[in-house]
Amino acid sequence: MASGSAKVGAPAVPVPGVWFRWSWFRAAEAGAAVLLVLLMGVPVLFLLVSSFNTAAPGQAAVYGLQNWTRAFTDPGTLSALWMSFLIASVRLVPAMLLSVLVAWLISRTDMPGGNTLEFLCWMAYFVPDFPLVLAWILLLDPNFGFLNTLAAYLPFVDAPIFNPYSFWGIIWVHTSTNGIWFKVMLLTPVFRRLGAALEEAARVSGADTWTTLRRVTFPVLSPMILAIAALSFIRGLESFNTELLLGLPAGIYVYATRIYDYTRSEPPGYGEATALGSVFLAVLAVLAFYYQKYLRGKRKFTVVTGQGYSTSRVQLGKWRYVALGGCVLYFAVMMVLPLAFLVIGSFMRRYGFFSIKSPFTLAHWQNLLGDPIFLVSLKNSLVIASLTAGAGIVLYSLVAYLIVSKRSVAAPVLDFLCWLPWVVPGILMSLGLLWLFLATPLRSVLYGSVWGIALAMTIKDSPVTTQAFRAAFLQLGPELEEAGRVSGASWWCTYRRILLPLLAPMIATVGILNFGSAITSVSTPVLLYSAQSRPLAILLLEYSFTGELERAAALGLLITALICSMMLVGRKLGLQLTQS
Amino acid sequence: MMRGKTIVAFAAIGSLCLATAGSAQTWEKEWKETLAKAKQEGKVVVATSPDPIMREISARFKERFGIAVEHLAGRSSQLASRLRSERQAGVYTVDVFMGGIQTVATILYREKMLDPLKPALVLPEVTDAKKWKKGKVWFVDPEEKYVARPFSTVSGLLHFNTDFVKPSELATAKDLLNPKWRGKISSEDPTTPGSGSNTAARIYAQMGEEFMRKLYIEQRPMITRERRQLTDWLARGTYPISFGAHDTDVDKMKKEGFPLQEIFGFPDMPPALTGSPWQLVLMAGAPHPNAAKVFVNWMLSKEGLQIYARGEEAATLRTDVDESFLPPERIPRPGINYFDTFDWEWTVSGKEKVRLRLKEILGR
Repeated sequence: MASGSAKVGAPAVPVPGVWFRWSWFRAAEAGAAVLLVLLMGVPVLFLLVSSFNTAAPGQAAVYGLQNWTRAFTDPGTLSALWMSFLIASVRLVPAMLLSVLVAWLISRTDMPGGNTLEFLCWMAYFVPDFPLVLAWILLLDPNFGFLNTLAAYLPFVDAPIFNPYSFWGIIWVHTSTNGIWFKVMLLTPVFRRLGAALEEAARVSGADTWTTLRRVTFPVLSPMILAIAALSFIRGLESFNTELLLGLPAGIYVYATRIYDYTRSEPPGYGEATALGSVFLAVLAVLAFYYQKYLRGKRKFTVVTGQGYSTSRVQLGKWRYVALGGCVLYFAVMMVLPLAFLVIGSFMRRYGFFSIKSPFTLAHWQNLLGDPIFLVSLKNSLVIASLTAGAGIVLYSLVAYLIVSKRSVAAPVLDFLCWLPWVVPGILMSLGLLWLFLATPLRSVLYGSVWGIALAMTIKDSPVTTQAFRAAFLQLGPELEEAGRVSGASWWCTYRRILLPLLAPMIATVGILNFGSAITSVSTPVLLYSAQSRPLAILLLEYSFTGELERAAALGLLITALICSMMLVGRKLGLQLTQS
Repeated sequence: MMRGKTIVAFAAIGSLCLATAGSAQTWEKEWKETLAKAKQEGKVVVATSPDPIMREISARFKERFGIAVEHLAGRSSQLASRLRSERQAGVYTVDVFMGGIQTVATILYREKMLDPLKPALVLPEVTDAKKWKKGKVWFVDPEEKYVARPFSTVSGLLHFNTDFVKPSELATAKDLLNPKWRGKISSEDPTTPGSGSNTAARIYAQMGEEFMRKLYIEQRPMITRERRQLTDWLARGTYPISFGAHDTDVDKMKKEGFPLQEIFGFPDMPPALTGSPWQLVLMAGAPHPNAAKVFVNWMLSKEGLQIYARGEEAATLRTDVDESFLPPERIPRPGINYFDTFDWEWTVSGKEKVRLRLKEILGR
């Protein structure tokens, strides 16, 4: 998404002081641009160029438009595209509204249990999708679904009420697996950062809570809300796992499935897949245009200034328990219910078959922990995830700092490059990175190693991480940095003593997010791992591939537990940094 | 005269003995040298599906020869793409590939990524004609030296649940078109490469387009790509007739007491053969050529194939592998004209055409 962001109207850090000298700033900017072109641009360029190669695999390249023509004239491509837009749009609107509401309740009101709910959001986000979708099938299937069976006891019900194999079934399951968790995770830190001064000023002026939200809170936080909406929309367009499982039986085909099919054909049609993927690039361009236009308007997004900072919360009175009740109900239905089935499933001889003799067993857990590959994969995953989290924080905090800077001339380019890894479907990006790694002199270090996978994951995480840091920087007033400069502090000292503590909640958030996505991501490492660097997510894929769903469920739960424990550590660190 | 003949006979026998002894010395010498070099290489990298049996293969091979097996697991087509990219960059990481015939024939062989396997086979246990049902190791590629096919099992056509479908109700292939089964059939997606499209292609080849159209359109089968869904639907009776449920999954459900049966063919649709789970090839430019040589020899030996045969419930082409664990219907019988779904020509030309035709018919 192109930037321009904060050039009019406000922000913040963006005014690197004289002590962060012009030459250093330009050097950093140029360095970041070169690095991003290399890491984000080159793989996409490789893919685009190869999409015009019409020669048979293994033959000398011949360029033409045949792959593109074939991809877009394939019957069903347009209807699949329409279906993808429909699903992505329909699932986005209620999810965004709910996410903003829940994030606000957690971070800006006195609703009890906010921290626990936030923790649950993190947990839910990292539960692997695939076994969770199967859990929903067990709950909703028209023939044997648990909820339909229960509903059949009602006097006025004479046919199954729920059907996951339908448009609305897909929307429902998406709302459970990907609905609000990710959005709440990213929104909560920026809501927390919102000082109470603006809200108090609105209330003093006679505005009620709703008016304050509508006229003050949401507009001030709009850069993050819009960025998350854009991220979610593109992710929605790229989604295909749930659609494959629930849509195929109902004859619902989405665009991403067509791309996936091309990559699976033999020989794989990567040219056609890249051609179809270009639509995401067009969507990104449109979103970027409007996002830039919005940020360039005469708006102000700064919420943390040098003039005192209060974080007092909105008092909901008796409504706090109503709000809590609503949240608990939502979490119970959308998260606890399928998760409970997933936990039970990992202890079943056959997932979902309660009627067989002695249906429960510990065998899948024993087999998992006894698998000689498990411990190696666990170690690999921990290394990859730690490297990804650390590298993402360092690299993208700097890039976001440059993007929001008033003096940056390359901001739009940097911003656009950071979005690229999400424009290309995962498996294609993996292929592009494979080509990139093989083409560099560093291939012996990168190819097939945990280092290479960590780099690939860092690249893949760039849109979320950069946008999160960018929104956080936009909230900081310029006087914070100026105060440091006036006091004689170096740029590094100011960054470390002032900006870093203020950014700590966001650092903790993106660190954990990147850590978790590095552990759970399948499509990015799938072409890059070797037998020594196989991560847990690939092991989980292997279990699913060979029909060992119960063991996959056990591994999925173990991964979730692992991320949750890291999350507790991360949150504590973030909190300590903020308090310090 | 008689004496002369005796002398000639003794001379012949003597030469034969010497030749045999010489040959034995030759292969033993070669094998010892290969083994010594292989141990120095330390490992062999094998790319194949993420089959759990590979855990046992790796452990047994390591135990036998002290050489580690690195298992690169993935879908055949993804592995092939990766190998192609590696080769274009001059990188060679994989020694042996064990994959589906489609990938081997249409990518690895066609793009000349293979080294001849035949000369690498030196163990008498492997080269001995008597050890093979076809009188030799079956190389299925046109040059008969690159692609070894060690399995040939009678391929199941469909499974059904006898609580919902009586065996007599499926006496001929045409019974499948009975309106009674409309909405009662499930199938693995016939439009994407895999067992779903293989079955559809077989039906097309054996029964014609009209039959296939009726089965896949008028009978409104439930389509999925998730193998466990097929078995679960079958066991619950949601869709009591299933094309594409995996035998290993179905067998587990049978052990749980579900009344499931398999049909291999009909009087009007003769049974077929499959070369699953893999064909064996040696990658050109293998980084551990000696370890690879030891591995392919062992893999085609009685011990190697037996492990896989049991794990995958497949019939090998060896004469000395115990097959008593297999249902008799799965073992090909002489005198029956089977349709071979892994036939080379059918793979490189026919199958893909049928898949694309089916996509067209189904409007996808």
